[in-house]
Amino acid sequence: MKTLLAFLLPCVLLAAEPLPPCCRPALAAGQPTDKSLYLLDSTWTSDVIRKIKLGVLRGRPQIVALFFTQCEYACPILVEELKGIERKLAPEVLGKVDFLLVSIDSKRDTPAALAAFREKRQLTRERWTLLRGEADDVRELAALLGVNYTEDARGQFAHSNLITLLNADGEVAFQHTGLKQDPAPLIAAIEKAAGGAQR
Amino acid sequence: MSVRLALHIAASFLALCAVRGAEPGMAAIPDSVYRPLFRGEKDAKEVPVPTFQLDVRPVTNGEFLAFVREHPKWQRSQVKRLFADERYLAHWASDLDLGQARAEQPVTNVSWFAAKAFSASRGKRLPTTAEWELAAGAGFTARDGAKDAEFQAEVARWYATPSPAVLPDAGGRANVFGVRDLHGLVWEWTSDFNSAMVTGDARGDSGLERQLFCGAGSVGAKDTGNFPAFMRFGFRSSLRAGYTVHNLGFRCAKTP
Repeated sequence: MKTLLAFLLPCVLLAAEPLPPCCRPALAAGQPTDKSLYLLDSTWTSDVIRKIKLGVLRGRPQIVALFFTQCEYACPILVEELKGIERKLAPEVLGKVDFLLVSIDSKRDTPAALAAFREKRQLTRERWTLLRGEADDVRELAALLGVNYTEDARGQFAHSNLITLLNADGEVAFQHTGLKQDPAPLIAAIEKAAGGAQR
Repeated sequence: MSVRLALHIAASFLALCAVRGAEPGMAAIPDSVYRPLFRGEKDAKEVPVPTFQLDVRPVTNGEFLAFVREHPKWQRSQVKRLFADERYLAHWASDLDLGQARAEQPVTNVSWFAAKAFSASRGKRLPTTAEWELAAGAGFTARDGAKDAEFQAEVARWYATPSPAVLPDAGGRANVFGVRDLHGLVWEWTSDFNSAMVTGDARGDSGLERQLFCGAGSVGAKDTGNFPAFMRFGFRSSLRAGYTVHNLGFRCAKTP
């Protein structure tokens, strides 16, 4: 009962503010497809609510990138690019897709660090999910996305800059590689995927 | 005999086990320092690798068969495409029939996910790249394989030879730690195979640390003569976790 309360309370308290995608009730759908990332059973923590499985994001396409909050070089550009894409999407598309940032820095990116990052970068709550996970689970998710990363002696991570579009079922629908590339193909893919949104 | 004395003896025995002991089928690798082949300007020159245990030989078809019997979701017809591609265990006759494959051959055509699941089911894990490379750098007679001419020649011979159509059985010559077949049989998965920030070509999918990529790759390398290690890094960076390859297997590790 106590755990249930602990779980529900933040939702209730936050009801005044829009719920981030990870805090919406999960879709009551059948098994994920054979290629769905939502087959992953790992547990993640967001800056807003305690524990989730990635499957709660099902039903709406997700635009996913791995990052870490202490990043000095590429991540600020990566996040700005994502925000640029957010600005470029038509309102009817925007209402049907979410953005998902997952930290690769399991040691330092606490929920509080994620919250501060959300604040600093002004990532709207109704569209952006920020998650942290255990090192093994991050390694696994990264492996599925094809993101390579390694930590250097100063605690900075070198990582692939990859934006992945997951369709509503959680399958990789499109991948956008490298910084400062033409976003048109990604945007076209997002518009197409938005058509499959179930909510 | 006093209780104190008994405790003392027990403690000494345990301490001895901690130093010497490894599980059956595993070898204890002492505290060591790994010097990564590729390094960016800011990367550590030396990575301490605390003592760990490593399987003395790669996991075999026979062992993997026992695993899929216990865990049907990892059988060929049951596995989710997300976790293994279409060639998963393709060299077996069926879900539970090895067919032409021999039980003592190292298992191949297994994805990273399958290797990870096998390891977990045995209370073990995959070795990190640092651990694997460290063990693989040891020669037959010297901890530093670079100082073991016979070992160097053996390794070079294998990397210069294409994989045979039929893999030999596991059980090659042991290195100084007692670990076999790190070279000479199959490539092996590591837990962080996707940490290699080097791509064999100019795919440019890794925006950071450009000095690590393309032709510049070898500039950051510690030992440009260690061609086999280059091949391994190139190979690992080309892998995806769901890939299965006919000459890619794995072995397990364990923290003491």
